[in-house]
Amino acid sequence: MSFPFRTPARGATTAAGAVAAVVLLAGCSAGGGSTNDGAEPVSGGNLVYATGDAEPTCLDPHVGGNYPQALISSQYLEPLVSKNSAGEIIPWLASSWEQSEDGLSWTFTLREGVQFTDGTPLDAEAVKANLEHVQDPATASSTGYLALRKIESAEALDEQTLKLTLSSPDSALLESFSMPWVAIQSPKALERSQEENCAAPVGTGPFMVEDWVKQESVTLVRNEEYVSPPSEATHSGPAYLDSITWRFIPESATRYAALQAGEVHVIDNAQPDTIKAAEGSDVIKHLDAPRPGASNRLELNTSKAPFDDPLVREAFIRSVNVNDGVSTLFFGTAARSYSPLSSVEPLAYSDSSQFGYDPEEANRLLGEAGWSERDSAGYRVKDGERLTLEFPVSTNQSIPAEQSLFEQFQATAKEAGFEVKLNLLDLSSWYGALAENDYNLVSAPYTKVGPDVLRILFHSDSTVPAPSGYFANLSQVKSEELDELLTRASETSEPAEREELYEQAQKIVLEGHYILPLYDQQNHFLYRSEVSGVRAWPTVSTPDFYDAWLNS
Amino acid sequence: MSIFSSQRNHQDPVLTAHFPGLRVVELAAAAVALFLVFAACFPTILAPFDPLAINPADAFQGPSAEHWFGTDESGRDIFSRVVHGARPSLLIGAAATAIGLGLAVILGTAAGLGGRWLDFGIGRLLEVLFALPGLLLALVFIAIAGPGITTSVVAVGLSTAPGYARIIRGQIAQVRSSAMVEAAVVLGRSPARVLRRHILPNALAPVFVLGTLGLGQAVVWASSLSFLGLGAPPPAAEWGAMLAAGRTYLGTAWWMTFFPGLAIVLAAASSTVLGRALQRRVALR
Repeated sequence: MSFPFRTPARGATTAAGAVAAVVLLAGCSAGGGSTNDGAEPVSGGNLVYATGDAEPTCLDPHVGGNYPQALISSQYLEPLVSKNSAGEIIPWLASSWEQSEDGLSWTFTLREGVQFTDGTPLDAEAVKANLEHVQDPATASSTGYLALRKIESAEALDEQTLKLTLSSPDSALLESFSMPWVAIQSPKALERSQEENCAAPVGTGPFMVEDWVKQESVTLVRNEEYVSPPSEATHSGPAYLDSITWRFIPESATRYAALQAGEVHVIDNAQPDTIKAAEGSDVIKHLDAPRPGASNRLELNTSKAPFDDPLVREAFIRSVNVNDGVSTLFFGTAARSYSPLSSVEPLAYSDSSQFGYDPEEANRLLGEAGWSERDSAGYRVKDGERLTLEFPVSTNQSIPAEQSLFEQFQATAKEAGFEVKLNLLDLSSWYGALAENDYNLVSAPYTKVGPDVLRILFHSDSTVPAPSGYFANLSQVKSEELDELLTRASETSEPAEREELYEQAQKIVLEGHYILPLYDQQNHFLYRSEVSGVRAWPTVSTPDFYDAWLNS
Repeated sequence: MSIFSSQRNHQDPVLTAHFPGLRVVELAAAAVALFLVFAACFPTILAPFDPLAINPADAFQGPSAEHWFGTDESGRDIFSRVVHGARPSLLIGAAATAIGLGLAVILGTAAGLGGRWLDFGIGRLLEVLFALPGLLLALVFIAIAGPGITTSVVAVGLSTAPGYARIIRGQIAQVRSSAMVEAAVVLGRSPARVLRRHILPNALAPVFVLGTLGLGQAVVWASSLSFLGLGAPPPAAEWGAMLAAGRTYLGTAWWMTFFPGLAIVLAAASSTVLGRALQRRVALR
């Protein structure tokens, strides 16, 4: 099944793409955008979900803020706004909003009659407490913190109305508010210690956290009082499923075997060969939901040698053979990207001319950069220094096929004289290597709704670590021209101007050889045919089980 | 070892005439060991391809006349990688065993000869180390020192030392109370001379048997560490790492896991069989 919001990107084709997408959607929505094949949904049952992403250290996505947290917290926390499958922002916990002329203040009206699962009502003070929680350095937020950075203060005008004051206009504010990393939690629950809140955050969602057995599973149970489904849901009232067992099975072959055996109903991070195998199966179905925001790419660290030299950066990019590896390792399940943005972003700009595999050009560029000698092992040397690239790889964030792809890069780059050192690390050691600037190359997924992710990834402000210690500008590009474009794009309210500015910014990123785009952030779910009504959120592509039911 | 004993009936009369007690299994083990040692010393003679050369167009090919063991996910020839993998695997195994035995000889001798308190102290230390499974000890060491070939050698060596040390201590204590040593002491020989001439030679003979037996275990442990991503970094052709890469594709490309696994089994089994053979002869003497 192809995912509805995948729209062709860029420039003049955008309008045509949007039309095509709408037509496509019309086709899809005949089936409810889900796998419901006309049968009447039944209530009850326990759905077992097996994730291959790292087990979160904290179930509250305000803290840190990575994708594993988004996956699970989407089941029990809800944000202020969402997106429909056409990609437009729609109300959720906020029923309406208004922006002032100068863009510096926003007024949000909250949905009536909603309460958190601990009985606390959803009101303006509650949302205010959440914004403060994300911005509090003690929370150590990264993703949410960066997304809400422009909010200066919040004021509850009455029970249901909240006024926000911004330091500068923010064209991405609603997109930011649609993300699970800034979802709204009970203010009473937030008053507990961080340790307690991490173990069982309290939200307004269709499920609640009941129990968490570390290294094994989290148990989520139905919220019987649930009243706040977004407008695209196909039913109202509580969810169909009694509960969800959210298991952690990091080993991909084991996860797939568990799915085949019927031990689990849904898996994420499916290996390409298993997706291929599922294509011919009646029992196992495939949901492809590429993540929004950035494409999956290698960042070239420009802050130190040898990638402080643009010639060496271009030489590296020319020296690695990406396409052959992507087509064999991913069995046709991933399309090559030539853009800093995901293909689901309408404003993505691609330029394949910068990224052709050309070993001769790589050799020429390295010679021009002064790396003309080679040592006995065939690696280039200059002033007694070998042309070595440290490449820490997070084994929690890269599936085995991707690690094999990196090994192939290592082999082809060696022919040009690069020594690429692949260091396979667990997530926390990997964060450590980045914090110590101990890398020349890195692949770091970053998911954010909308093109403002470019500001997070390439604005010089993002070389300064967030309270969590993570900095998102890993190529460490510091360009005044780029900063200016990204700042203006994030402040303008003119769609045409915004598109133009983001296109220019992406050109600078691609032509500066700061990154090597690979493919969309892969997000493949496999599920058994007895599961109906499962879909991925049009915001960050996490699974939505509110409408899901089991026909056993 | 009943399977080996049953071989007794099928002995080759000519061979056994020259090498009493030699068995077919032992011959086969010796042949495998020789082959692996040869592969470790001269891999380029045996391997038809460069073990690191990728060729994505040839990925996931099953065993064929050209690629005897098939190809992996990057189109590398698995036979060539298995052959080249012999060197790191055997070297890690041998070096780790050497470290383990070396440490054990020091600890065991000190405990066996150093008097009551030293014996007591070392005994308790060994008991503490015994409380942790060997592989866990290796993992703890790697967690502290960071992954890599050198650390996994030291880690495996350290974790095998306690077992050897206890046996050596027992041997030394036994030899020390023997009539031969008592006679030497009564004759007024210096302690160093007694240790060198009488105790060590008699106590350490079993150590070589232990070493041969332990080599196989060390190869398995070193492969386990690589399998967990804690040994040789990519793209090294190392059996454990190849096994780890292959298991993802176990359902579709069995040869990626089968052949490196076979190499590990053969290395471990041949060293065990040879070790037993040595043990039997030493015990007979």
